[in-house]
Amino acid sequence: MDETAINNLLQQYNTKLEEARVLNLQSWVLNYKCFETLQTQKIQSKLTALAGIKIVGIVLGFLWVFFLGMLLYASRFNNIYFSISTIIVILFTLLAIAVYIRHVIMLKQIDYSKSITDTQNRLAALQLSTIKITRILVLQTPFYTTWFWSAQWLKSDPIFWLVPFPVTILFTLLAIWLYKNISIKNIQNKKLKWLFSGPEFSYIVKAKLFLDEIETFKKD
Amino acid sequence: MSKQQPVKDDLLKQVKEHERIIFKICNSYCSNKDDRADLAQEIMYQLLKSYERYNADYKFSTWIYRIALNVAISFYRKVKTGKQFVSLAEGHIEVEDKPNESAVLEKNIHVLEQFINELKELDKALMILYLDEKGYKEIGEILGITETNVATKINRIKEKLKQHFLKLT
Repeated sequence: MDETAINNLLQQYNTKLEEARVLNLQSWVLNYKCFETLQTQKIQSKLTALAGIKIVGIVLGFLWVFFLGMLLYASRFNNIYFSISTIIVILFTLLAIAVYIRHVIMLKQIDYSKSITDTQNRLAALQLSTIKITRILVLQTPFYTTWFWSAQWLKSDPIFWLVPFPVTILFTLLAIWLYKNISIKNIQNKKLKWLFSGPEFSYIVKAKLFLDEIETFKKD
Repeated sequence: MSKQQPVKDDLLKQVKEHERIIFKICNSYCSNKDDRADLAQEIMYQLLKSYERYNADYKFSTWIYRIALNVAISFYRKVKTGKQFVSLAEGHIEVEDKPNESAVLEKNIHVLEQFINELKELDKALMILYLDEKGYKEIGEILGITETNVATKINRIKEKLKQHFLKLT
């Protein structure tokens, strides 16, 4: 097939796509009623779903901080291990809340009238940035294994050194390993493919691939 | 009448003049009617949200293309599950019968649409703009790439298309 034939075919295809519009979306949303709906109700936008998830995360985060704060207050700081563990978990949660709030603001500020590569780049980068807070949050896991420690337990019970202590060490090593390996550069690492195979990472992996695609598209 | 009514009227008038852009993009990125209607609604929502920021230095068609394509690509990436091939022949997009159209042309169009549907999201956007006979400069402005890059990509896609047809013959 030569250049002219290709061009003619593209023309024919375009005409068909344009003809198709008449029958496919003839009852579509282009009317005043739809505009009223769009203005008076918040439509269930698939594009703002991510912001919705993050807002839920913020609310749950605040509830968690409130709950831990109440426990801390009730304990009157009697047990130093409990107090330190709880304060550290609260700090991590507050950090996550701050990052999520920033993400929601950034999502709300996305301007769809910018160029395609610019807007898509921002959206994909935003999705990808979730990985940064995820890797920081894993560092708090050892503190979930220390809140029930006590000075007396450490001194007088050998079981402490056989079970709870090694568990904490194990969680610490695991948290450090995860912190080091959960990173953008490792997403395409074949050896660590299993780490990113879960549903919680699937959209991050897709975002990374799309970011690479955008970069290639801009460079070519 | 609300304060936004003139804005709404003005936007509605302009969108009606350019509605074929939205129809074409919805048909190109979505494989079923429900998704197409949802996408059309998403596009309208974003147009309405963004209209106050509309910069008259740009053509309205450029602005609408940017928003519609950005929304379509984001939407497509969210709803994409399994088969997304939009086929005129399979009747996903209903077209009026044209009994005098040759079978060969029908077949070629089917191959072409399959080819376009298999393109990556950004290449597909490029082809939609090219099919609409937009200049390379405007295509570049909408996509955020240089004119030279537009020309190179279009030539490359057309060459791939030629090779695709060659393989089939």
